[in-house]
Amino acid sequence: MSYIENALSGLQGGAVIAALAIGLVLTFRASNVINLAHGAIGMYSAYVYFGLRNFKLASTELGGDLVLPIIGAPSKVHLLDRPTASSAFLVAIAIAIGLGALLYGFVFRPLRSAPPLARVVASLGVFLYLQSVMNVRVKEIGAGALSLQLESLLPQGVVRIGSAKVPTAAFALAGLVIACAVALGVLFRFTRFGLATRAAAEQERGAILTGISPNRLGVFNWMLASGLAGVSVILITGVQQKIDPTETSLLIVPALAAALLGRLDGFGLTTVAGLAIGMTQGAVSWFQLRASLPSWMPNGGLAQAVPLIVILAAISLRGSSLPNRAALLERQLPESPVPKHPVLWTSLLFVGATVALFTLDAQWRLAIVVSIIAGFIGLASVVVTGYVGQISLAQYAFAGLAAFGTAKLAIQGLPFPFAPIVAIAITVFVGILMGLPAVRVRGMTLAVATIAAAVAIEQLVFASSSLTGLESPPRPRLFGIDLGFTATGDNNFRAAFGMLALVLLCAAIIVVANLRRSATGLRWLAVRGNERAAAAAGIDVSRTKLSAFAVSALLAGIGGSLLAYESPSLSSQQFMVVGALAVLALCYLGGIASISGALMAGVLASGGVLTQLQGGNTGNASSYQFAVSGLLLVVVAVLYPDGVIAGLRNAITRWSKHAGKNTPTAGTQSTRVAS
Amino acid sequence: MTELLTIRNLGVAYGGLLAVDDVELVIHANEVMGLIGPNGAGKTTTIDAICGFIPHAVGTIALGGQAIQQLAPHERARSGLVRTFQSVELFDDLTVRENLVVAAQAPRWYSLVFDAVRPNRARSFTAVDRAIELTEIAALSTLRPNELSHGQRRIVGVARALAASPALVLLDEPAAGLDPQETERLGALIHRLPSEGIGVLLVDHDMALVLEVCDRITVLDFGRVIASGTPDEIRSNDVVIAAYLGSSSE
Ligand SMILES: Nc1ncnc2c1ncn2[C@@H]1O[C@H](COP(=O)(O)OP(=O)(O)O)[C@@H](O)[C@H]1O
Ligand SMILES: [Mg+2]
Repeated sequence: MSYIENALSGLQGGAVIAALAIGLVLTFRASNVINLAHGAIGMYSAYVYFGLRNFKLASTELGGDLVLPIIGAPSKVHLLDRPTASSAFLVAIAIAIGLGALLYGFVFRPLRSAPPLARVVASLGVFLYLQSVMNVRVKEIGAGALSLQLESLLPQGVVRIGSAKVPTAAFALAGLVIACAVALGVLFRFTRFGLATRAAAEQERGAILTGISPNRLGVFNWMLASGLAGVSVILITGVQQKIDPTETSLLIVPALAAALLGRLDGFGLTTVAGLAIGMTQGAVSWFQLRASLPSWMPNGGLAQAVPLIVILAAISLRGSSLPNRAALLERQLPESPVPKHPVLWTSLLFVGATVALFTLDAQWRLAIVVSIIAGFIGLASVVVTGYVGQISLAQYAFAGLAAFGTAKLAIQGLPFPFAPIVAIAITVFVGILMGLPAVRVRGMTLAVATIAAAVAIEQLVFASSSLTGLESPPRPRLFGIDLGFTATGDNNFRAAFGMLALVLLCAAIIVVANLRRSATGLRWLAVRGNERAAAAAGIDVSRTKLSAFAVSALLAGIGGSLLAYESPSLSSQQFMVVGALAVLALCYLGGIASISGALMAGVLASGGVLTQLQGGNTGNASSYQFAVSGLLLVVVAVLYPDGVIAGLRNAITRWSKHAGKNTPTAGTQSTRVAS
Repeated sequence: MTELLTIRNLGVAYGGLLAVDDVELVIHANEVMGLIGPNGAGKTTTIDAICGFIPHAVGTIALGGQAIQQLAPHERARSGLVRTFQSVELFDDLTVRENLVVAAQAPRWYSLVFDAVRPNRARSFTAVDRAIELTEIAALSTLRPNELSHGQRRIVGVARALAASPALVLLDEPAAGLDPQETERLGALIHRLPSEGIGVLLVDHDMALVLEVCDRITVLDFGRVIASGTPDEIRSNDVVIAAYLGSSSE
């Protein structure tokens, strides 16, 4: 009965999922944000702990160094001499709590009533920052995952249940988290603080009436949540002997599933859901290990897909295709200007890029192609998020599907235009399939669902052994012209492939501009503005959203197919959800609701034109690139919750109003008020 | 007279509260029906239920003899049942004219592909033009909703409903916040709709307007129909006076 053994061992993962989910509930109620960086906070405090203990089993010879997650600062400072496990633990938890307080005070409290996209972007920014800065630090302090011997603070041993042997730690962790949930339940039910927090979740005024300031409530909830994240991640990394900046931060995904099941409210259901997800993952991984699985089943990552299935089920049961009357209209996305002269601008872009492709050197040609591909992902985000208001983070996963599909089909002998066409068609199909449940949720919940979908695609498809390390497809040829990207010597990164990518991008820009200007675009913006009113005006809201999901998957798919021909070989690393977060964030910087925002994202993308302008991919600067863009995102989201472009536009309006006071032509000014 | 909208046993419960309780309502073609009642009587909820916004509503709703309670809100709108909102709810990202255009046009399955290639292909907008003409908002058509006054926004809301070529418009407090001239123009417009082949269900608190333009009036209180009849009958109905006209001076 070893699957029971696996399921029970899964309790330890489940306990951490539950603890993180409880933290998500705490922070959501306190500040109306689903904190995607919650796992990253736990990850950092685990590095603090193991850093102080010098990553060695019970070694007090060395250690006492604090890892600093600050760009530009030294990677570590000496804090304590010979810290014991408990002093290191206390320091790590104190730092997690402080980090929570800082994040609340400087980032999420100011964003409490900002548009959901600003809140998502800010928490993505924190996630990206911590995750990537720690990736750099880990290399600097020599804590690469392979060399680590982490100490476990939990009892070792195993418990025998029948023939099953289950680590004692699993029960210890599960017991701890259940105790936490009960304690929190008591705290929230019976204390003034708890009542006030619950009142504040309904309405800020409700909390003021109880006499406790909402700010104090917020900061306390954030400290509680972050401390809990620190404790649980330190304990689990010790048990599992495994810590990694990205993987550990992504513990957030199953935690999100549990929190959604608990309706982001209340600890009981959330805890049960977390434990159940962990146990299911454990049981599933046992089935995975057995050779008798049919060959079409993905052999890796099935366990990671469990949260997705849970999230989809929760959505299908709870969601509705229209928001109800009581639902607050969330604040708007930035203005979406009508593209004025798309053909003119696209022609200029075409000519400029063509000249660049034929005159500049190979590194430049590579940078341009990288930017073009990122531009496709950007366009995909602009359509689905900017025009229709659906925050989707699955663009990279779609690109990856198309890339692997193209490579696989082309290697199996399907000739050039057909391999990518079939792969892109499959991608669009999957995009629509994912859209079917996604049209039932909105705002933060949708963002969470799409992250889960992206991670599931990543784990189920990209990590599958028949795809990893896939070679690049045979050279594309059309009408006898060689469109391949690689060549020897200075001719490498051939302009012919660049031209193919450029022509496709220009066509895509025109198509997106056309859609925005047409009746389809009007319906998209109508749905973005007000779903109920749109339905009352005879617009099929679900179908309208689906059309955007389809167009978005198409654009991401084209980008992905190009990537298949661009990269020397494909790995799942290229399509990690983190990349999608970065592109969405860059679009947000450039203006998520306009085509120029997508192109800006292309220029800013890592390895793209901006990187080349800064001196190319060789410099050390790019190792911090994600971290810097994460930081930038947080700053921008806080200062300009409506996006940079909207912020600038508002500033100009204010300035012209100010100037208008002195001139008698004030009457001709727009009276439009920035909402 | 043919029955345009036939409602039987309409009910909506929120928890223990019966917001709409066993409502019967028949609206004939070419008729202006008033629906009045104190705040919280269930008028908006009735419109929500008729238009399909309350999935858990019970009862039968037939439009022109066809049962429609299985249809989604947008399908009911396309089959001729078009509403306005008490809180107006225009599309802020669209101009006034575009607000009407999205309501006028149902997309075809090939629209996405056509729009991607030819965004400005010739389309007939007779319904839009007619709605603009009827509501006299031609001067506003290139403005955005947040450039309009409150009264103008309400009229645009009505115009958007008319642009959808309705058989029946359900107007939820269209005169709220209008100045006397605007109210008078609105009254004239509503009066005119039956001759355009459009039936009207009018919810409003402006009794002068309701008594003037309606052919028949139904009175709701606590979700139940307490009276129904011509304006004269309603004016002199003791139950109505007790429940509504007398107690509330709105
Ligand atoms: N979504 C809802 N949830 C709970 N109760 C509701 C909801 N919508 C309306 N109600 C209740 O239903 C009753 C009727 O409301 P409504 O139809 O808005 O009245 P009216 O439009 O006549 O003023 C009120 O008591 C109101 O509080
Ligand atoms: Mg009402």
